[in-house]
Amino acid sequence: MKYLLVKSTDSEILKRAECGGAVTSLFKYLLDKKLVDGVLALKKGEDVYDGIPVFITSSDELPEVSGSLHCATINFGKIIGKYFADKKIAVPTKPCDAMAIKELAKLKQVNLDNIYMIGLNCGGTVSPITAMKMIKLFYEVNPKDVIKEEIDKGKFIIFLKDGTEKAIKIDELEERGFGRRKNCQRCEVMIPRMADIACGNWGAEKGWTFVEVCSEKGRKLIEDAEKEGYIKIKEPSKKAIEIREKIENVMIKMAKKFQKKHLEEEYPSLEEWQKYWNRCIKCYGCRDNCPLCFCVECKLEKDYMEKGKIPPNPIMFQGIRLSHVSPSCINCGQCEDACPMDIPLSYIFHRMQLRFRDTFGYIPGVDDSLPPLISELDK
Amino acid sequence: MTNSIEDIEDADCILIIGSNTFEQHPLIARRVVKAKDKGAKIIVIDPRKTMTAKQADLYLQIVPGTNVALINAMMHVIIKEGLIDEEFIKNRTKGFEELKKVVEKYTPEYASKICKVDKDLIVEAARVYGSAKRASILYCMGVTQFTHGVDNVKSCCNLALITGNIGKRGTGVNPLRGQNNVQGACDMGALPDVFPGYQKVNVAYEKFEEIWGVELNHEMGLTIPEMIKKAGKEIKFLYIMGENPMVSDPDIKHVEKALKSLDFLVVQDIFLTETAELADIVLPAACWAEKEGTFTNTERRVQLIRKAVNPPGEALEDWVIIKKLAEKLDYGDKFNYKSPKDIFEEIRKVTPQYAGITYERLGVDGIHWPCPNETHPGTPILHVEKFLTQDDLGRIFPIEYKNPAELPDDEYPFILTTGRIIFHYHTGTMTRRSKHMINEINDGFVEINPKDAKKLGIKNNDLVKVSSRRGGVAVKAKITENIKEGVVFMPFHFAETAANLLTNPAIDPYCKIPEFKVCAVKIEKL
Repeated sequence: MKYLLVKSTDSEILKRAECGGAVTSLFKYLLDKKLVDGVLALKKGEDVYDGIPVFITSSDELPEVSGSLHCATINFGKIIGKYFADKKIAVPTKPCDAMAIKELAKLKQVNLDNIYMIGLNCGGTVSPITAMKMIKLFYEVNPKDVIKEEIDKGKFIIFLKDGTEKAIKIDELEERGFGRRKNCQRCEVMIPRMADIACGNWGAEKGWTFVEVCSEKGRKLIEDAEKEGYIKIKEPSKKAIEIREKIENVMIKMAKKFQKKHLEEEYPSLEEWQKYWNRCIKCYGCRDNCPLCFCVECKLEKDYMEKGKIPPNPIMFQGIRLSHVSPSCINCGQCEDACPMDIPLSYIFHRMQLRFRDTFGYIPGVDDSLPPLISELDK
Repeated sequence: MTNSIEDIEDADCILIIGSNTFEQHPLIARRVVKAKDKGAKIIVIDPRKTMTAKQADLYLQIVPGTNVALINAMMHVIIKEGLIDEEFIKNRTKGFEELKKVVEKYTPEYASKICKVDKDLIVEAARVYGSAKRASILYCMGVTQFTHGVDNVKSCCNLALITGNIGKRGTGVNPLRGQNNVQGACDMGALPDVFPGYQKVNVAYEKFEEIWGVELNHEMGLTIPEMIKKAGKEIKFLYIMGENPMVSDPDIKHVEKALKSLDFLVVQDIFLTETAELADIVLPAACWAEKEGTFTNTERRVQLIRKAVNPPGEALEDWVIIKKLAEKLDYGDKFNYKSPKDIFEEIRKVTPQYAGITYERLGVDGIHWPCPNETHPGTPILHVEKFLTQDDLGRIFPIEYKNPAELPDDEYPFILTTGRIIFHYHTGTMTRRSKHMINEINDGFVEINPKDAKKLGIKNNDLVKVSSRRGGVAVKAKITENIKEGVVFMPFHFAETAANLLTNPAIDPYCKIPEFKVCAVKIEKL
C-alpha cells in the first residue's frame, strides 16, 4: 500500500476539511490514543495572513488548526529543536518543514522516533505583505475582507466576507512580481516524501485525501487509525496516480525554470552583492530564523569577528554562515523573510547548495546521509 | 511625521538630515533602501560619515550646528534656478517673499564657509532635491538638539513648502521619533504647555475642568531643564517616570547636585537606573510586554498592544500605579478605571485627533490620527488639502543662521557632538542588561579624525581625557575617517564614560531642548 485514498469517518471533520479530512483525523487518533503528547500546528491569527504556532494536547482543540494558511510562512524545524526536543509530537509538515526536521535529525538536534510527520503537498506559500498588496492591486478588494484563501489548479483563490470568491492565475501574479515567495518558486519538492506520509488533493477524488505512504511508521499509523475507525481507506485508480505524478512533474519543471531565472540570469553581480552587504545591520535575524543554524556557541559572536561595528565584514559574517549552513540549506527562505534590509539571502544560499548537490550529489532534507563536509569530519 | 513610513518608498529624492536612519530606525531605512532600488536619489547631511551616509548618492559632511546656513543656501539655489513650485507657493503658503529676501545672501559660497561643505555639493544637493517630483525629508536629533533647534525644523519646512513637497505620497517633513510611544506621550499632553490633543493649557483648561470635575492650573508647566534648574529651590519633590536624566540629560554633574538637593525623589522604572539609585522611593513598573494599551508611533499610527506575560515581583502597570496613588490622595473617584480600555475611552472623548478610534477598529494595523469620527479611515498623510492654520495656508518663516551656544576656542578647540549607536538604546537601561548587546559592545569611545589624532599624538584605542567646561571623561579613542576634522563624537549610552558630563545645558528659547549636538571640548592623551 503505497498510494491510498483516505477519508475521515467524522462528519464534523469532513465539514471543515480541505479534502478528505485525513490529516485532522490522524491527529485526532494520535491525541485520543495518547500516542503523542501533542500536535504542533498553525492556528489562524488575526486574519488569513497570520499563522500562530500552537501546541495542542486535546482533540477538542483540533478545529482551531484545521485548514491551510498559505500566507503563514513559518518553519517548524527550529521550533521543534528548541522547544519540543523531549516531547512526543505530531506535526503537519510542508516539504520544507519535513526537510528541516530530517536534516536536524541527522545532525542530532531532534529525534525522529518522537515525531510523526504528517506531510502536506505544497505548491508554495505567499508572504503576507505580498499577499495583501496583490489582493488590493489585482483582486481589487480590501485584504481585510478575505476570510479564507486557497491555491488550486494554478490559481490563488480568495473567499470574501460577502460569500463571493475571486481567483487569479499564479503565473500572472508572478509575472508582475507578486505571487509565491521567490524560494517557493524555485522549490522542486512539492511532495514531502521524507515525512511519514504525504497528503494532498492532487489526483484525489472529491471528498478524499490522496495519501502516499513514505515510511514504515506512516504505514502503521494509517493501518491502526483505520482499525480504530478514525479513517476509511480505498485504493486510488491508476489514472489518479498518473494525474498526481503529472502535476508534480509540471511543477518541478517550472521550479527548474525559476532556478535558472533567479540563480543564473537574474543573479546579482558582485557589485550588487557588495551593495546588499553594505546594508547589513548585523541583526542576526538570518541566523536566528534559519532552521538549520543550531550551534550552541555561535562562531559569529566570537572575538575574531570585529564587534560593535556595522556593516559586518561580509566575508566573515556571511562567509561563516554560508560555510556552516549552505550544504544543508533546504531553501526554506526563512533568512530572506527575516532580513529587515531586503537582502536576497536565499539566492546565495540556494545557489551554493545546488553547487554542493552538483559536486557531491548531496540533497539535504532528502538524502539519508550526512552533509558532505560533516561526513568527512566524521571519518 | 507628516507622511507615513510606507510612502517613503515612493520618493524620488530622500533628504536625510541629522538622522543616522540605518542605525537608529532600521525599519525606516528599509523604505529608503526600497526607494533607492526604484531609482530615488539619497542625500545625507551629517558631520559623521555614518552607515546611512555611506548609502547616499550625495553626502554633505557638515559642521555640527550649521544646518540653517546649508538649507538656506539650498533654497537660494532652488529659487535662483527656478526649481520652486510656484503654484503651491501661491495657493498654499504665506511668507515666500520674506524668505526670498533672507536667503538672498546665502550663496553656496557663503554657506560653504560656515558649513565647511564644498559649494558645488550644495548646488548639486539643491538641484537633486529641487527637481525631484516627490522629495521626502527625514530628520532626527541632528536637527532638533540645538539652541536653534526650532529654527532648524522651520528651515526643513521652508524647503518642503517652496518646492511643494508636502501633502502627497513620497514627500513631507518627517521627524523620526526615537521611542515607540514618544508621539503618543506628546499626544496625551505629556508636555508642559498642553492638555491631550495639543490643546493649550491656558486656553482649554475650562473644558478639561468640566470633563475631569476638578480645578486645574492653567499656567504653563516646566520643561525638564527648567525642573532640574529649580530642583531643591522652588521644587522640593520630583516624580520621574521612565526617564534616566543621570545619563540622558546634559551636564550630569549639575543634574546629580539638583536631584540630591530635593526633599523627596520618586522614580518609577522597570530597572534600577542611575537615577533610581538616587531616589527615596522606587516604584517598579511593568515593561511593554507586561501591559496592555496603545502605543502611537512616529507616523502617528495608534497601535493596540496586548500583554504577553505578567509583570515580575511587585511591578505594576503604570496606569495601576497612578490609580493607586490617586486613591491614596482621595481622588479614587476621578481615576475610576478598570482597564486600559476605559482610559482609552476617555482619551477619545478629550482628544479630537483620537475621537474616531476604538479598540475594535484598531485591529492589527492600527489607525493614523487624526481620525475625527468612527467612519473616518485615519490620516496617513497630513496637509493634503490645507494646513492647520486659521487661513489654511502653510507658513514660511525666514530664518537667519545663528551660532551654537558654545564654539571651540583655544582652550577647548574641538566640537563634541553626541549620539547613539545601533547596539544600544538610549541610556542602556534595557540594552546594557542584554547579553547579546553587551557582547557586541559595552564601552564608550570617542571618534577622532586621523588628522586631529596625529596632531595630538593619539593612536587608535589609546585612553584619552575629553574635557569641557563642565567636566571630564576618560575614554578610549577611536580613530576614524568617518568623523569630520575638528569634530569628535561620543555615544551617550554609557554611564561610566558619560558624554553628558561634558554637554552644554544651553537650551532652545522656544522648545527648551538642550544643545546635545555641539559643545567645545579639549582632548588629552592619558
